[in-house]
Amino acid sequence: MTLAAPAVLLFVAFAPPANAAAPANDGPAAEVVDFVRDVEPILEARCYDCHGEWVQESKLRLDSRVGMLKGGNTGSAVLKPGNVKGSYLLDVVRHLDPGMEMPPESDKIPDEEIAVLVKWVEQGAVWPGQMNDVVERETSDHWAYQPVVRPEPPAGPGIADGAVPIDAFLARKLHGAGLSFSQPAEPEALVRRASIVLTGMAPTPEEVEAFVAASAEDPDAAYVALVDRLLASPRYGERFAQHWLDVIRWAETNGSESNMYRKNAWIYRDYVVRSFNEETPYDRFLKEQIAGDVLGAGEATGYLVSGPHVPAATVGQEPTARRQARADRLDEVVQTVGASVMGSTIGCARCHNHKFDPISIQDYYSLTAVFADVEYGARRPELAPDHPRRRRGEELWNEVRSHRRLLREAGGPWTEDWRTHREMYFNPVETDAVRLTFEGKGVGLDEWEIYGPADWQENLAAADAGAVASANPATAVPRGGVEKVNDGQTGTEAWRAKVPDGSDEKPWVTIEFPQSRRVNHLRYSRNRDDLAETDYLEGLATSWLPHFTVEVRNPAGEWEPVAETKEIDRRLGRGGDLKATHAALQASIDALLEEGPQHSFVGKFVEPADTFVFRRGSPESPGAQVAPDGPGAFGESLNLPADAPGPVRREAFADWLARPDHPLTARVMVNRLWHHLYGAGLVTTTADFGAAGTDPTHPELLDWLAAEFVDPQVPGPHAEPWSVKHMVRLMALSRAFRQSSLPREEGLAADAGASLLWRYPPKRVEAEVIRDSILQASGALDETVGGRSFRIHNVKQRYAQWEVVDNHGPETWRRMLYQERMRRVDDRIFTAFDFPDCGQVKGKRPVSTTPLQALNLMNSEFVIDQARRIAERAETRAEDGDDPVTQSFLLIFGREPTAEERIAAEEVAAEHGLPVLCRTLLNANEFAFLP
Amino acid sequence: MSNPERLTPTGRGLLDRRSFLAQSGLSMGALSLAQLLSTDGLLAAEAPASGDEGPQTAGGVEPIRPDVDPANPYRPRKPHFETQAKRVLVIYCPGAVSHLDTFDYKPDLFKFHGQKPPGLPEVTFEGPTGNIAKPFWKFKPRGETGKMVSDLVPHLAELTDDLCFVHSLHTETSAHPQGENFFNTGFTQEGYPSFGAWATYALGTENQNLPAFVAINDPRGLARSGKNNFGSGFLPAAFQGTDFTAASPPANLKRPPAVSPAADRESVDLLQRLNAAHLERYPDDADLAGRIASYELAGRMQTSVPDVMDVSGETAATHAAYGTQTGSKLKQAYAQNCLLARRLLERGVRVVQLFNGSDPAGGNGITNWDSHSDIAETHAMQAEIMDQPTAALIADLKQRGMLEDTLVVWCTEFGRMPFLQANGTGRDHNPGAFTCFLAGAGVKAGYSHGKSDRFGFEAAEDKTSVYDFNATLLHLMGLDHERLTFYHNGLERRLTHVHGHVVKELVA
Repeated sequence: MTLAAPAVLLFVAFAPPANAAAPANDGPAAEVVDFVRDVEPILEARCYDCHGEWVQESKLRLDSRVGMLKGGNTGSAVLKPGNVKGSYLLDVVRHLDPGMEMPPESDKIPDEEIAVLVKWVEQGAVWPGQMNDVVERETSDHWAYQPVVRPEPPAGPGIADGAVPIDAFLARKLHGAGLSFSQPAEPEALVRRASIVLTGMAPTPEEVEAFVAASAEDPDAAYVALVDRLLASPRYGERFAQHWLDVIRWAETNGSESNMYRKNAWIYRDYVVRSFNEETPYDRFLKEQIAGDVLGAGEATGYLVSGPHVPAATVGQEPTARRQARADRLDEVVQTVGASVMGSTIGCARCHNHKFDPISIQDYYSLTAVFADVEYGARRPELAPDHPRRRRGEELWNEVRSHRRLLREAGGPWTEDWRTHREMYFNPVETDAVRLTFEGKGVGLDEWEIYGPADWQENLAAADAGAVASANPATAVPRGGVEKVNDGQTGTEAWRAKVPDGSDEKPWVTIEFPQSRRVNHLRYSRNRDDLAETDYLEGLATSWLPHFTVEVRNPAGEWEPVAETKEIDRRLGRGGDLKATHAALQASIDALLEEGPQHSFVGKFVEPADTFVFRRGSPESPGAQVAPDGPGAFGESLNLPADAPGPVRREAFADWLARPDHPLTARVMVNRLWHHLYGAGLVTTTADFGAAGTDPTHPELLDWLAAEFVDPQVPGPHAEPWSVKHMVRLMALSRAFRQSSLPREEGLAADAGASLLWRYPPKRVEAEVIRDSILQASGALDETVGGRSFRIHNVKQRYAQWEVVDNHGPETWRRMLYQERMRRVDDRIFTAFDFPDCGQVKGKRPVSTTPLQALNLMNSEFVIDQARRIAERAETRAEDGDDPVTQSFLLIFGREPTAEERIAAEEVAAEHGLPVLCRTLLNANEFAFLP
Repeated sequence: MSNPERLTPTGRGLLDRRSFLAQSGLSMGALSLAQLLSTDGLLAAEAPASGDEGPQTAGGVEPIRPDVDPANPYRPRKPHFETQAKRVLVIYCPGAVSHLDTFDYKPDLFKFHGQKPPGLPEVTFEGPTGNIAKPFWKFKPRGETGKMVSDLVPHLAELTDDLCFVHSLHTETSAHPQGENFFNTGFTQEGYPSFGAWATYALGTENQNLPAFVAINDPRGLARSGKNNFGSGFLPAAFQGTDFTAASPPANLKRPPAVSPAADRESVDLLQRLNAAHLERYPDDADLAGRIASYELAGRMQTSVPDVMDVSGETAATHAAYGTQTGSKLKQAYAQNCLLARRLLERGVRVVQLFNGSDPAGGNGITNWDSHSDIAETHAMQAEIMDQPTAALIADLKQRGMLEDTLVVWCTEFGRMPFLQANGTGRDHNPGAFTCFLAGAGVKAGYSHGKSDRFGFEAAEDKTSVYDFNATLLHLMGLDHERLTFYHNGLERRLTHVHGHVVKELVA
């Protein structure tokens, strides 16, 4: 807008006659506003200089109706015809949005002009000749947003006859650069490479030997068999799960504040491993992670809450801070989806339209609307009937029932520990009130439920059901009101009681039913939510309730005891069948809580709130409301109403994302797989396919791979639509993957980074490969797939940092995938090897080399201990074969020492012992190197 | 482990990339250093599409990419422009120090003491607000400038003529972990590189025998945001802070007892021979070369770190000045850390981040400066730990002439409220106004910048955001905060996001 506006001149056009009787501020605006006569001159004088044909500050144009409807960088539509409040244009000229006063650096425009604009908007913002113009969805000619068209693999000079398509595309480009593929890799290097890339572990000496022997017979057949064996190994799923978890920065703590442990979050990790191993098609994999709650794979939604979050309880009491924290939590969800699946830096559009890509701020908030029912927290995952965890749960439930039957037959009460809460069963009794009287000085209950043989699903104690709670007034505590004991709300809000010093009162709490009921079963807890959501916390319900007595009121109004916890413990502790049955019951419950469906940190669902564009990213500046949708540049609108139910939103979006013709979904995934196989993607910015990312080195190859992924044409054992294994197999079987990694002068000169793949690009392996391969070499590796993560940390206080307690003992001898992934916690060995801190989304791990890595690998207890075990194993093996030094080389490098190495190694081993030699070999570049 | 005298010739040569190239057996033709480095993930591997205009930051300026040699990532690099500061000491006080009880003198607090705050909010971070409270300590004019500083920090008060206060700071959050993140990494969310990581990424370091960036945690443990305060975020791990204190060396520094010194030496010799042979097959590989060099640096660290940690050679007068043997146990331990900080800076470590306080909350002023109740006792307890050793450290740097080329930063995540919490004895979090100070290289001495309002509730004059403050720190280190960037997920990321202006008034 201009600074010095010719306001006086303008007013001539519609200034009221000097003798007009009407009050001045009621002048022309009272009539029907004419755009050309009344409005356009104001816009022209005030706005067009900066928001017109020649200049578009903030990409905002005000010289067309559609330009106003579209809005600029900093927000949504600036015009809402007929809606003064919703028209941001009016807010800024009236200086209602601090920091966004327009025209800038000048006085407010005259009230009369504002009145005209207001009237114009009220009357529907009539703009002659433009009333039918509508805002088009964003489009773009950027390569990544165009449909995938399957190219023909090329033939011609430099391309071998019968080359597979991958090799044909690569060879053409190599030929163009005057290069060619290298010789096939040595079998020793190839088996090491394929094993590490496909399973994350070096091959065993036996595997190397077998492959070398088979290669001598028939190299092709041997290699195909090797790849198929590796793909069939459960190690494959673990390896690719690790890659996926990296991208979405999945971890088992919240980050932020107290960085609490996310209880049972690991069931999502197991889901990912199983999906890769059992070949869940990638489109299904995506849908389950976004809407698994309605697809029978509830644990898959752990994906949505993989990022860090700030719990509402820890941002303080100010509503603005709470709103900001919620917006941040949704932002983490959007970043996860954007980076992992869409290859889009959608988060960049949180405050303004994306600077490089056709993603508007509306797109960003439409996407947050898709996830508006997602909240960080735990729930019981919805599982399909044939889900292994659910089937196991049913088996265990049957056990629980039969143990209970035996206890019931034996007569008398018992208790059960369900970790989040406890249950008590006693003989059914008819009553109109139940009372608990506690021993001890203090007590708290967040909820107390009562059930009967007929009412085994309906909580008779609920206030909603008409029950009334009361408690001993002599032990009352401020803010611990008794109404909290049966309000249906679990968590920190609890009924509390405390015996005053010197008093002999006992805390008691009573529930009275509206009428008499038969009851036999209580459920009670101190802080059920805390126990459901977190673990490994000091003071976390480790001390349970004090002992208490359960009494019921008889028709005469007298209290009769029906159970006493102290007496229950005594009776069940006495031994014999009763004790054994109760122990078996508790064991079944414990197993159920570990192996069956259980409360897990895989997200919970809330009623979706209305979603608005937040101007400049601030929840305090809501703009227009938006409906759930995917970014317009990537496909048709979801056409959902703004109030669509949460699961409907997510399922519709998942379908939209996983449709075969989505321009990004297949491209992004095949590129990621390429990155995992070759060390760099065809698009090296694996999480950014936008204009700020890199262009593909081989665009046609990328599109061929994407097309083949969605609609496989190459025959093979896994040739099904969206099969990850099919794609990995094609890549692994290519000549490009099988070639040598040794440097060649002409290759280095023309393409030092080997982005054209004139050789297989060697690299350093990740932390996991080093650790897992050490454990394999020592024979210590426990190969159990899945389950609770192994712990290296302490049980901490709520406000304290996690500390490493034991990072090397037998409990830790599993694949590193199963080490608890903690945000921003250093494991004191392998974190130094660029292990992600799981804070921000990282498309790929950086590779850096630091002296701390060297110190950790030379001096840590883990390495010292494992080196000793490898040495022992080498000695044992030497009893049946080669000498211990050779065995050490075989176990660690998969090869025998050269003559020269042998002399030096034997000297060290003789003088200082075999463990010292093994420690040395574990530190060698060769061990940390992918050839 | 390795000792420099016993390196293989190959190993020693590798310390210098150029001599390494000259010595490698293979003819490398026209192979240039740049070609080699382009194979490396630290440099161009993830550079964005150049397009027509070349890579640009969101602000539209050309990034300056540090020339990081992966074989030697800590090699000193030139700043963007000439500057006095060669190294930086950041003293970070987690928990939020009350500006109103230390350096920001507000006479109106006396006037309105015990009254309901006019125009101030009903609810703040922890809940309802109480009445205005005057400072809990006496303020007096100090030094030649007559700067009003309270008796809570008598030792620092003596240095006011050397210090440069910023009274108009304000931040974007009133929660500790987000506040720590924001101050130290420029973002309230997790996972962004810390100031120290940015500085060492840009500048490398002068002493190749010590880590480039050392984080000295409080004797009580890590601050609330833990490792995030000195992490490398998405920068390579080489630039994360190495944490150790005067009482505990870095993890795994020491040779394990199971390995004798002779065995250690010989196994390192064997290691380097194995590596040299392996490298002959891959003479172009910068990562392999870098890894060989890293073992040599690790070996040197095994000598140099215990040496820098050994304060026994310091004079009795120095010990007395820092207070390593007087006062509370925590103060003594912190004083040792201050002494360690000086010794690190003396040896050319680029960034030393010294923490005075650990994980807060629950402890209420026991573990750090967070004083929601009993501020009179809890702040006094923190000040007893912080004041004398910190002041001694700054004075010691000055006396040794090191303040000429060392930037000193004293900071905290936000301030505290001019009123008490309802029915309380402490002050709640105040993101609206707080005070930090600078000293040393390139900084105006005896100067106070900006003002908070009459109650110290909000920044009022020359408001300084944390972005501005960080932009200024980088400027003092010779770095342009808009051009020190790293490409990550679609953006040229910077410490200052898309904000920040250098506060020129602070620069001498």
